[in-house]
Amino acid sequence: MIPKIYSIVIAITLVLYLSTGVLSQEDMLVIDNRPFADTTRPNAIFQHDVHNEKAEIEDCATCHHVYDEDKGEFIPDQSSEDQRCYECHDLKETGKKPGLMKAFHLKCKRCHQEQKKGPLMCGDCHRK
Amino acid sequence: MNELYQLLTGPMLWLTFFVFTFGTLYKLLSILVLTIQKEPFIMSVFSFKYGMRSILSWMTPFKPVSMKKHPVLSSVIYVFHICLFIAPLFLMAHITLLDESWGLVWPSLSDSLIDYLTLIVLACCLFYFIRRLTQKEVNYLTSQSDYILLAIVALPFFTGLMAYHQWFAYGFFLNLHILSGEIMLMAIPFTRLSHMIISPLTRAYMGSEFGEIRHAKDW
Ligand code: HEC
Ligand code: HEC
Ligand code: HEC
Ligand code: HEC
Repeated sequence: MIPKIYSIVIAITLVLYLSTGVLSQEDMLVIDNRPFADTTRPNAIFQHDVHNEKAEIEDCATCHHVYDEDKGEFIPDQSSEDQRCYECHDLKETGKKPGLMKAFHLKCKRCHQEQKKGPLMCGDCHRK
Repeated sequence: MNELYQLLTGPMLWLTFFVFTFGTLYKLLSILVLTIQKEPFIMSVFSFKYGMRSILSWMTPFKPVSMKKHPVLSSVIYVFHICLFIAPLFLMAHITLLDESWGLVWPSLSDSLIDYLTLIVLACCLFYFIRRLTQKEVNYLTSQSDYILLAIVALPFFTGLMAYHQWFAYGFFLNLHILSGEIMLMAIPFTRLSHMIISPLTRAYMGSEFGEIRHAKDW
Protein backbone atom coordinates (compact mmCIF):
# COMPACT_ATOMS: atom_id res chain seq x y z
CA MET A 1 0.00 0.00 0.00
CA ILE A 2 2.55 2.51 1.13
CA PRO A 3 4.78 2.17 -1.95
CA LYS A 4 1.75 2.79 -4.15
CA ILE A 5 0.89 6.04 -2.39
CA TYR A 6 4.48 7.10 -2.70
CA SER A 7 4.59 6.49 -6.40
CA ILE A 8 1.35 8.43 -6.94
CA VAL A 9 2.74 11.38 -4.97
CA ILE A 10 5.97 11.27 -6.94
CA ALA A 11 4.08 11.09 -10.24
CA ILE A 12 1.91 14.09 -9.37
CA THR A 13 4.92 16.11 -8.24
CA LEU A 14 6.74 15.28 -11.44
CA VAL A 15 3.81 16.28 -13.63
CA LEU A 16 3.37 19.55 -11.74
CA TYR A 17 7.08 20.24 -11.98
CA LEU A 18 7.28 19.60 -15.70
CA SER A 19 4.08 21.56 -16.48
CA THR A 20 5.56 24.73 -14.98
CA GLY A 21 7.60 24.78 -18.16
CA VAL A 22 11.22 25.77 -18.69
CA LEU A 23 13.12 26.96 -15.66
CA SER A 24 13.44 30.73 -15.58
CA GLN A 25 16.38 32.75 -14.35
CA GLU A 26 14.59 33.20 -11.01
CA ASP A 27 15.10 29.52 -10.23
CA MET A 28 18.55 29.25 -11.69
CA LEU A 29 20.98 27.66 -9.22
CA VAL A 30 23.80 26.63 -11.56
CA ILE A 31 24.76 27.50 -15.12
CA ASP A 32 23.76 24.93 -17.70
CA ASN A 33 26.89 23.28 -19.12
CA ARG A 34 25.21 21.22 -21.86
CA PRO A 35 26.43 23.53 -24.67
CA PHE A 36 29.94 22.17 -24.00
CA ALA A 37 30.76 19.10 -26.08
CA ASP A 38 32.09 17.06 -23.18
CA THR A 39 32.12 18.50 -19.72
CA THR A 40 34.87 17.91 -17.20
CA ARG A 41 33.69 19.88 -14.15
CA PRO A 42 30.59 20.19 -12.01
CA ASN A 43 28.24 23.00 -13.14
CA ALA A 44 29.25 26.48 -11.99
CA ILE A 45 27.19 27.73 -9.06
CA PHE A 46 25.14 30.78 -10.00
CA GLN A 47 21.87 31.73 -8.35
CA HIS A 48 20.92 34.26 -11.01
CA ASP A 49 18.59 36.63 -9.18
CA VAL A 50 20.08 36.22 -5.71
CA HIS A 51 23.55 36.84 -7.15
CA ASN A 52 22.59 39.99 -9.00
CA GLU A 53 20.70 41.38 -6.04
CA LYS A 54 23.59 40.74 -3.63
CA ALA A 55 26.14 42.09 -6.11
CA GLU A 56 23.86 45.06 -6.82
CA ILE A 57 23.96 44.68 -10.60
CA GLU A 58 20.99 46.43 -12.17
CA ASP A 59 21.98 46.53 -15.82
CA CYS A 60 21.21 43.21 -17.54
CA ALA A 61 23.68 44.14 -20.31
CA THR A 62 26.57 43.82 -17.83
CA CYS A 63 26.36 40.15 -18.77
CA HIS A 64 23.79 39.90 -21.59
CA HIS A 65 25.58 42.23 -23.97
CA VAL A 66 24.91 43.20 -27.57
CA TYR A 67 27.81 44.07 -29.88
CA ASP A 68 27.64 46.58 -32.70
CA GLU A 69 29.92 45.21 -35.41
CA ASP A 70 29.94 48.47 -37.38
CA LYS A 71 30.81 50.76 -34.49
CA GLY A 72 33.02 48.16 -32.86
CA GLU A 73 31.58 48.52 -29.35
CA PHE A 74 28.99 47.03 -27.03
CA ILE A 75 25.68 48.88 -27.23
CA PRO A 76 25.07 50.36 -23.76
CA ASP A 77 21.28 50.38 -23.60
CA GLN A 78 20.57 47.07 -25.33
CA SER A 79 20.64 43.63 -23.77
CA SER A 80 20.40 40.06 -25.03
CA GLU A 81 18.85 38.07 -22.17
CA ASP A 82 16.61 36.34 -24.72
CA GLN A 83 19.74 34.64 -26.05
CA ARG A 84 22.04 32.14 -24.41
CA CYS A 85 25.77 32.86 -24.43
CA TYR A 86 26.46 29.86 -26.69
CA GLU A 87 24.23 31.30 -29.41
CA CYS A 88 26.91 33.89 -30.10
CA HIS A 89 30.00 32.31 -28.53
CA ASP A 90 31.23 29.14 -30.25
CA LEU A 91 33.29 26.62 -28.31
CA LYS A 92 36.37 27.89 -30.14
CA GLU A 93 37.55 31.48 -30.19
CA THR A 94 36.50 33.38 -33.34
CA GLY A 95 38.38 36.60 -33.95
CA LYS A 96 38.01 38.89 -30.95
CA LYS A 97 35.03 36.87 -29.67
CA PRO A 98 36.25 34.50 -26.94
CA GLY A 99 35.26 30.83 -26.95
CA LEU A 100 32.39 29.84 -24.66
CA MET A 101 34.41 28.78 -21.62
CA LYS A 102 36.67 31.80 -21.83
CA ALA A 103 33.64 34.08 -22.26
CA PHE A 104 32.17 32.80 -18.99
CA HIS A 105 35.46 32.85 -17.13
CA LEU A 106 36.44 36.35 -18.22
CA LYS A 107 32.98 37.75 -17.59
CA CYS A 108 32.63 36.27 -14.10
CA LYS A 109 36.19 36.43 -12.80
CA ARG A 110 37.13 39.87 -14.08
CA CYS A 111 34.37 41.49 -12.03
CA HIS A 112 35.10 39.39 -8.95
CA GLN A 113 38.74 40.41 -9.21
CA GLU A 114 37.95 44.10 -9.64
CA GLN A 115 35.41 44.19 -6.82
CA LYS A 116 37.47 41.88 -4.57
CA LYS A 117 34.25 39.95 -3.95
CA GLY A 118 32.96 36.66 -5.34
CA PRO A 119 34.83 33.44 -6.13
CA LEU A 120 38.08 33.21 -8.17
CA MET A 121 39.32 29.69 -7.41
CA CYS A 122 38.14 26.94 -9.77
CA GLY A 123 36.52 24.82 -7.08
CA ASP A 124 34.57 27.68 -5.54
CA CYS A 125 32.48 27.91 -8.73
CA HIS A 126 32.77 24.28 -9.89
CA ARG A 127 31.99 22.83 -6.49
CA LYS A 128 31.95 19.05 -6.14
CA MET B 1 41.31 32.66 0.96
CA ASN B 2 40.58 34.92 -2.03
CA GLU B 3 43.04 37.59 -0.83
CA LEU B 4 45.75 34.97 -0.44
CA TYR B 5 44.90 33.52 -3.87
CA GLN B 6 45.19 36.94 -5.49
CA LEU B 7 48.52 37.57 -3.77
CA LEU B 8 49.90 34.18 -4.84
CA THR B 9 48.71 34.42 -8.44
CA GLY B 10 49.68 38.10 -8.71
CA PRO B 11 52.80 39.61 -7.10
CA MET B 12 54.16 36.28 -5.84
CA LEU B 13 53.99 34.78 -9.33
CA TRP B 14 55.95 37.69 -10.78
CA LEU B 15 58.53 37.34 -8.03
CA THR B 16 58.79 33.63 -8.87
CA PHE B 17 59.37 34.30 -12.57
CA PHE B 18 61.94 36.93 -11.67
CA VAL B 19 63.88 34.76 -9.21
CA PHE B 20 63.75 31.71 -11.49
CA THR B 21 64.87 33.54 -14.64
CA PHE B 22 67.61 35.65 -13.12
CA GLY B 23 68.69 32.84 -10.79
CA THR B 24 69.12 30.57 -13.80
CA LEU B 25 71.04 33.22 -15.74
CA TYR B 26 73.23 33.86 -12.70
CA LYS B 27 73.91 30.16 -12.31
CA LEU B 28 74.88 29.78 -15.98
CA LEU B 29 77.03 32.89 -15.93
CA SER B 30 78.88 31.91 -12.76
CA ILE B 31 79.63 28.45 -14.18
CA LEU B 32 80.95 30.09 -17.33
CA VAL B 33 83.12 32.57 -15.44
CA LEU B 34 84.48 29.90 -13.07
CA THR B 35 85.31 27.60 -15.96
CA ILE B 36 87.13 30.31 -17.89
CA GLN B 37 89.07 31.34 -14.76
CA LYS B 38 89.97 27.90 -13.43
CA GLU B 39 89.92 25.42 -16.31
CA PRO B 40 89.90 27.40 -19.56
CA PHE B 41 90.83 24.35 -21.64
CA ILE B 42 87.32 22.96 -21.00
CA MET B 43 85.89 25.61 -23.31
CA SER B 44 88.06 24.45 -26.20
CA VAL B 45 86.92 20.85 -25.85
CA PHE B 46 83.20 21.54 -26.33
CA SER B 47 81.82 20.01 -29.50
CA PHE B 48 78.18 20.34 -30.48
CA LYS B 49 78.15 17.04 -32.31
CA TYR B 50 79.67 14.89 -29.55
CA GLY B 51 77.84 16.84 -26.84
CA MET B 52 74.43 16.21 -28.40
CA ARG B 53 75.37 12.60 -29.16
CA SER B 54 76.06 12.01 -25.49
CA ILE B 55 72.95 13.81 -24.25
CA LEU B 56 70.70 11.91 -26.65
CA SER B 57 72.35 8.61 -25.75
CA TRP B 58 71.81 9.20 -22.06
CA MET B 59 68.16 10.07 -22.79
CA THR B 60 67.58 6.79 -24.61
CA PRO B 61 66.19 4.20 -22.20
CA PHE B 62 68.65 1.42 -21.38
CA LYS B 63 71.31 2.64 -23.77
CA PRO B 64 73.80 3.71 -21.04
CA VAL B 65 75.63 0.83 -19.34
CA SER B 66 74.89 2.24 -15.90
CA MET B 67 71.18 2.09 -16.69
CA LYS B 68 71.46 -1.59 -17.56
CA LYS B 69 73.31 -2.20 -14.31
CA HIS B 70 70.61 -0.50 -12.18
CA PRO B 71 67.40 -1.21 -14.08
CA VAL B 72 64.94 -0.46 -11.26
CA LEU B 73 66.39 2.82 -10.06
CA SER B 74 67.02 3.98 -13.64
CA SER B 75 63.47 3.22 -14.72
CA VAL B 76 62.06 5.10 -11.73
CA ILE B 77 64.28 8.11 -12.48
CA TYR B 78 63.32 7.99 -16.15
CA VAL B 79 59.57 7.74 -15.63
CA PHE B 80 59.66 10.26 -12.78
CA HIS B 81 61.26 12.98 -14.88
CA ILE B 82 58.88 12.51 -17.79
CA CYS B 83 55.80 12.72 -15.56
CA LEU B 84 57.30 15.61 -13.59
CA PHE B 85 57.37 17.77 -16.72
CA ILE B 86 54.31 16.54 -18.59
CA ALA B 87 51.83 16.76 -15.72
CA PRO B 88 52.07 20.51 -15.00
CA LEU B 89 52.80 21.61 -18.58
CA PHE B 90 49.81 19.87 -20.16
CA LEU B 91 47.23 20.31 -17.41
CA MET B 92 44.08 21.97 -18.75
CA ALA B 93 43.60 24.18 -15.67
CA HIS B 94 47.11 25.65 -16.04
CA ILE B 95 46.68 26.32 -19.76
CA THR B 96 43.24 27.84 -19.14
CA LEU B 97 44.74 30.34 -16.72
CA LEU B 98 47.56 31.24 -19.12
CA ASP B 99 45.00 31.71 -21.88
CA GLU B 100 42.87 33.99 -19.73
CA SER B 101 45.84 36.10 -18.64
CA TRP B 102 48.03 36.24 -21.73
CA GLY B 103 46.12 34.49 -24.52
CA LEU B 104 48.70 31.68 -24.58
CA VAL B 105 47.26 28.29 -25.57
CA TRP B 106 48.55 24.83 -26.44
CA PRO B 107 46.90 21.40 -26.45
CA SER B 108 46.19 19.77 -23.10
CA LEU B 109 45.93 16.17 -21.93
CA SER B 110 42.87 14.80 -20.18
CA ASP B 111 42.51 15.47 -16.45
CA SER B 112 42.25 11.77 -15.67
CA LEU B 113 45.52 10.98 -17.46
CA ILE B 114 47.28 13.75 -15.53
CA ASP B 115 45.77 12.34 -12.35
CA TYR B 116 47.69 9.12 -13.02
CA LEU B 117 50.91 10.95 -13.93
CA THR B 118 50.65 12.82 -10.61
CA LEU B 119 50.24 9.57 -8.71
CA ILE B 120 53.32 8.21 -10.51
CA VAL B 121 55.37 11.27 -9.49
CA LEU B 122 54.29 10.82 -5.87
CA ALA B 123 55.02 7.09 -5.95
CA CYS B 124 58.51 7.82 -7.30
CA CYS B 125 59.10 10.37 -4.52
CA LEU B 126 58.08 7.73 -2.00
CA PHE B 127 60.53 5.34 -3.65
CA TYR B 128 63.38 7.87 -3.36
CA PHE B 129 62.45 8.49 0.27
CA ILE B 130 62.45 4.82 1.22
CA ARG B 131 65.66 4.26 -0.72
CA ARG B 132 67.39 7.01 1.22
CA LEU B 133 66.15 5.59 4.50
CA THR B 134 66.92 1.93 3.90
CA GLN B 135 69.86 1.58 1.50
CA LYS B 136 72.99 1.80 3.62
CA GLU B 137 75.36 3.38 1.11
CA VAL B 138 72.72 5.93 0.10
CA ASN B 139 71.69 6.65 3.66
CA TYR B 140 75.31 7.34 4.53
CA LEU B 141 75.47 10.11 1.92
CA THR B 142 72.06 11.57 2.81
CA SER B 143 71.69 14.79 4.75
CA GLN B 144 68.61 16.58 6.03
CA SER B 145 68.60 18.86 3.00
CA ASP B 146 67.97 15.87 0.72
CA TYR B 147 64.69 15.17 2.49
CA ILE B 148 63.71 18.84 2.40
CA LEU B 149 64.41 18.96 -1.32
CA LEU B 150 62.34 15.83 -1.87
CA ALA B 151 59.47 17.43 0.05
CA ILE B 152 59.77 20.63 -2.02
CA VAL B 153 59.29 18.56 -5.18
CA ALA B 154 56.55 16.29 -3.86
CA LEU B 155 54.41 18.98 -2.24
CA PRO B 156 53.09 20.73 -5.39
CA PHE B 157 51.98 17.36 -6.75
CA PHE B 158 50.36 16.21 -3.53
CA THR B 159 48.50 19.48 -2.97
CA GLY B 160 47.52 19.64 -6.65
CA LEU B 161 45.92 16.23 -6.33
CA MET B 162 44.06 17.28 -3.18
CA ALA B 163 42.84 20.54 -4.72
CA TYR B 164 41.74 18.97 -8.02
CA HIS B 165 39.59 16.43 -6.19
CA GLN B 166 38.47 19.05 -3.67
CA TRP B 167 39.29 16.68 -0.84
CA PHE B 168 39.22 18.14 2.69
CA ALA B 169 39.96 21.87 2.76
CA TYR B 170 39.84 23.01 -0.87
CA GLY B 171 40.95 26.62 -0.43
CA PHE B 172 43.82 25.64 1.83
CA PHE B 173 45.17 23.00 -0.55
CA LEU B 174 44.81 25.15 -3.67
CA ASN B 175 46.73 28.03 -2.11
CA LEU B 176 49.36 25.68 -0.69
CA HIS B 177 49.59 24.12 -4.16
CA ILE B 178 50.40 27.45 -5.78
CA LEU B 179 52.82 28.47 -3.03
CA SER B 180 54.69 25.16 -3.06
CA GLY B 181 54.97 25.26 -6.86
CA GLU B 182 56.45 28.73 -6.60
CA ILE B 183 58.89 27.61 -3.91
CA MET B 184 59.99 24.70 -6.12
CA LEU B 185 60.62 26.97 -9.11
CA MET B 186 62.55 29.48 -7.02
CA ALA B 187 64.60 26.70 -5.44
CA ILE B 188 65.82 25.34 -8.79
CA PRO B 189 68.75 27.72 -9.41
CA PHE B 190 69.94 27.74 -5.79
CA THR B 191 69.73 24.11 -4.66
CA ARG B 192 70.75 20.74 -6.03
CA LEU B 193 67.64 20.99 -8.20
CA SER B 194 69.98 23.08 -10.36
CA HIS B 195 70.97 19.78 -11.99
CA MET B 196 68.12 20.74 -14.33
CA ILE B 197 70.36 23.55 -15.61
CA ILE B 198 73.79 22.00 -15.09
CA SER B 199 73.48 18.36 -16.07
CA PRO B 200 73.08 19.04 -19.81
CA LEU B 201 76.33 21.03 -19.63
CA THR B 202 78.35 18.39 -17.77
CA ARG B 203 76.92 15.71 -20.03
CA ALA B 204 77.88 17.71 -23.12
CA TYR B 205 81.38 18.22 -21.75
CA MET B 206 81.85 14.53 -20.99
CA GLY B 207 80.51 13.61 -24.42
CA SER B 208 82.87 16.10 -26.08
CA GLU B 209 85.93 14.92 -24.20
CA PHE B 210 85.21 11.25 -24.84
CA GLY B 211 84.24 11.85 -28.46
CA GLU B 212 86.96 14.25 -29.54
CA ILE B 213 89.93 13.34 -27.42
CA ARG B 214 89.52 9.75 -26.28
CA HIS B 215 87.48 8.65 -29.30
CA ALA B 216 85.26 6.63 -27.00
CA LYS B 217 81.68 6.46 -25.84
CA ASP B 218 80.78 7.91 -22.45
CA TRP B 219 77.58 5.90 -21.91
C1 HEC C 1 26.23 38.61 -13.59
C2 HEC C 1 25.82 38.34 -14.93
C3 HEC C 1 24.33 38.44 -15.27
C4 HEC C 1 23.51 39.52 -15.10
C5 HEC C 1 23.84 40.90 -14.54
C6 HEC C 1 22.22 39.12 -15.61
N1 HEC C 1 22.27 37.84 -16.06
FE1 HEC C 1 20.76 36.78 -16.88
N2 HEC C 1 21.99 35.17 -17.10
C7 HEC C 1 23.33 35.16 -16.81
C8 HEC C 1 23.89 33.93 -17.23
C9 HEC C 1 25.34 33.52 -17.11
C10 HEC C 1 22.83 33.16 -17.78
C11 HEC C 1 22.93 31.76 -18.40
C12 HEC C 1 23.24 31.97 -19.84
C13 HEC C 1 23.49 30.70 -20.59
O1 HEC C 1 23.33 29.62 -20.01
O2 HEC C 1 23.84 30.78 -21.78
C14 HEC C 1 21.64 33.98 -17.69
C15 HEC C 1 20.38 33.60 -18.14
C16 HEC C 1 19.29 34.43 -18.17
C17 HEC C 1 18.01 34.08 -18.70
C18 HEC C 1 17.67 32.74 -19.34
C19 HEC C 1 17.31 31.73 -18.30
C20 HEC C 1 17.21 30.34 -18.88
O3 HEC C 1 17.09 29.42 -18.08
O4 HEC C 1 17.31 30.17 -20.09
C21 HEC C 1 17.20 35.14 -18.57
C22 HEC C 1 15.73 35.25 -18.97
C23 HEC C 1 17.95 36.20 -17.95
N3 HEC C 1 19.24 35.73 -17.70
C24 HEC C 1 17.48 37.46 -17.66
C25 HEC C 1 18.22 38.46 -17.10
C26 HEC C 1 17.70 39.80 -16.83
C27 HEC C 1 16.29 40.26 -17.14
C28 HEC C 1 18.72 40.50 -16.26
C29 HEC C 1 18.72 41.94 -15.76
C30 HEC C 1 17.76 42.22 -14.76
C31 HEC C 1 19.86 39.61 -16.16
N4 HEC C 1 19.53 38.40 -16.70
C32 HEC C 1 21.11 39.96 -15.64
C33 HEC C 1 24.04 36.16 -16.24
C34 HEC C 1 23.56 37.40 -15.89
C1 HEC D 1 24.22 38.63 -29.28
C2 HEC D 1 25.46 37.90 -29.32
C3 HEC D 1 26.17 37.71 -27.98
C4 HEC D 1 25.67 37.13 -26.83
C5 HEC D 1 24.26 36.58 -26.60
C6 HEC D 1 26.74 37.10 -25.89
N1 HEC D 1 27.88 37.67 -26.44
FE1 HEC D 1 29.69 37.92 -25.52
N2 HEC D 1 30.43 38.81 -27.19
C7 HEC D 1 29.75 38.97 -28.38
C8 HEC D 1 30.67 39.55 -29.36
C9 HEC D 1 30.31 39.87 -30.82
C10 HEC D 1 31.90 39.73 -28.72
C11 HEC D 1 33.20 40.27 -29.33
C12 HEC D 1 33.37 41.72 -29.06
C13 HEC D 1 34.63 42.24 -29.70
O1 HEC D 1 34.86 41.94 -30.89
O2 HEC D 1 35.38 42.93 -28.99
C14 HEC D 1 31.72 39.27 -27.37
C15 HEC D 1 32.73 39.32 -26.39
C16 HEC D 1 32.60 38.79 -25.13
C17 HEC D 1 33.63 38.84 -24.13
C18 HEC D 1 35.00 39.49 -24.28
C19 HEC D 1 34.86 40.97 -24.27
C20 HEC D 1 34.70 41.47 -22.89
O3 HEC D 1 33.61 41.75 -22.44
O4 HEC D 1 35.72 41.55 -22.23
C21 HEC D 1 33.15 38.19 -23.04
C22 HEC D 1 33.87 37.98 -21.72
C23 HEC D 1 31.79 37.75 -23.34
N3 HEC D 1 31.51 38.14 -24.63
C24 HEC D 1 30.97 37.04 -22.47
C25 HEC D 1 29.64 36.71 -22.73
C26 HEC D 1 28.76 36.00 -21.80
C27 HEC D 1 29.15 35.51 -20.42
C28 HEC D 1 27.54 35.88 -22.42
C29 HEC D 1 26.27 35.26 -21.85
C30 HEC D 1 25.80 35.81 -20.59
C31 HEC D 1 27.66 36.50 -23.72
N4 HEC D 1 28.94 36.98 -23.86
C32 HEC D 1 26.63 36.58 -24.63
C33 HEC D 1 28.44 38.63 -28.62
C34 HEC D 1 27.56 38.04 -27.72
C1 HEC E 1 29.62 42.93 -12.44
C2 HEC E 1 30.22 42.12 -11.41
C3 HEC E 1 29.98 40.63 -11.37
C4 HEC E 1 29.87 39.75 -12.42
C5 HEC E 1 29.90 40.03 -13.91
C6 HEC E 1 29.72 38.44 -11.82
N1 HEC E 1 29.75 38.53 -10.46
FE1 HEC E 1 29.59 36.97 -9.14
N2 HEC E 1 29.71 38.26 -7.61
C7 HEC E 1 29.87 39.62 -7.70
C8 HEC E 1 29.92 40.21 -6.38
C9 HEC E 1 30.08 41.67 -6.05
C10 HEC E 1 29.78 39.12 -5.47
C11 HEC E 1 29.76 39.18 -3.95
C12 HEC E 1 28.34 39.32 -3.48
C13 HEC E 1 28.29 39.39 -1.97
O1 HEC E 1 28.28 38.32 -1.37
O2 HEC E 1 28.29 40.50 -1.46
C14 HEC E 1 29.66 37.90 -6.28
C15 HEC E 1 29.51 36.65 -5.74
C16 HEC E 1 29.43 35.48 -6.48
C17 HEC E 1 29.28 34.16 -5.93
C18 HEC E 1 29.20 33.82 -4.45
C19 HEC E 1 27.77 33.98 -4.04
C20 HEC E 1 27.57 33.78 -2.56
O3 HEC E 1 26.42 33.64 -2.16
O4 HEC E 1 28.53 33.80 -1.82
C21 HEC E 1 29.24 33.28 -6.98
C22 HEC E 1 29.10 31.76 -6.91
C23 HEC E 1 29.35 34.07 -8.19
N3 HEC E 1 29.47 35.40 -7.85
C24 HEC E 1 29.34 33.53 -9.46
C25 HEC E 1 29.39 34.29 -10.61
C26 HEC E 1 29.35 33.74 -11.94
C27 HEC E 1 29.27 32.26 -12.27
C28 HEC E 1 29.42 34.79 -12.80
C29 HEC E 1 29.47 34.75 -14.32
C30 HEC E 1 28.32 34.18 -14.99
C31 HEC E 1 29.50 36.00 -12.01
N4 HEC E 1 29.48 35.66 -10.69
C32 HEC E 1 29.59 37.28 -12.55
C33 HEC E 1 29.98 40.36 -8.84
C34 HEC E 1 29.91 39.85 -10.14
C1 HEC F 1 33.57 32.69 -11.23
C2 HEC F 1 33.24 31.32 -11.43
C3 HEC F 1 34.20 30.40 -12.13
C4 HEC F 1 35.51 30.13 -11.78
C5 HEC F 1 36.31 30.73 -10.64
C6 HEC F 1 35.97 29.13 -12.69
N1 HEC F 1 34.97 28.79 -13.58
FE1 HEC F 1 35.07 27.36 -15.01
N2 HEC F 1 33.21 27.87 -15.68
C7 HEC F 1 32.42 28.82 -15.09
C8 HEC F 1 31.17 28.90 -15.85
C9 HEC F 1 30.03 29.84 -15.54
C10 HEC F 1 31.26 27.95 -16.89
C11 HEC F 1 30.21 27.60 -17.97
C12 HEC F 1 29.01 26.85 -17.40
C13 HEC F 1 29.29 25.64 -16.56
O1 HEC F 1 30.27 24.92 -16.78
O2 HEC F 1 28.48 25.37 -15.65
C14 HEC F 1 32.56 27.32 -16.75
C15 HEC F 1 33.03 26.32 -17.58
C16 HEC F 1 34.21 25.65 -17.42
C17 HEC F 1 34.66 24.54 -18.23
C18 HEC F 1 33.93 23.97 -19.45
C19 HEC F 1 32.83 23.05 -19.03
C20 HEC F 1 33.31 21.73 -18.49
O3 HEC F 1 32.75 21.30 -17.46
O4 HEC F 1 34.24 21.11 -19.05
C21 HEC F 1 35.87 24.15 -17.73
C22 HEC F 1 36.73 23.01 -18.25
C23 HEC F 1 36.18 25.01 -16.61
N3 HEC F 1 35.16 25.91 -16.44
C24 HEC F 1 37.34 24.93 -15.86
C25 HEC F 1 37.69 25.84 -14.87
C26 HEC F 1 38.99 25.87 -14.24
C27 HEC F 1 40.13 24.89 -14.51
C28 HEC F 1 38.98 26.91 -13.37
C29 HEC F 1 40.11 27.43 -12.49
C30 HEC F 1 41.35 27.68 -13.18
C31 HEC F 1 37.65 27.51 -13.44
N4 HEC F 1 36.91 26.85 -14.37
C32 HEC F 1 37.24 28.58 -12.67
C33 HEC F 1 32.69 29.58 -13.97
C34 HEC F 1 33.88 29.57 -13.27
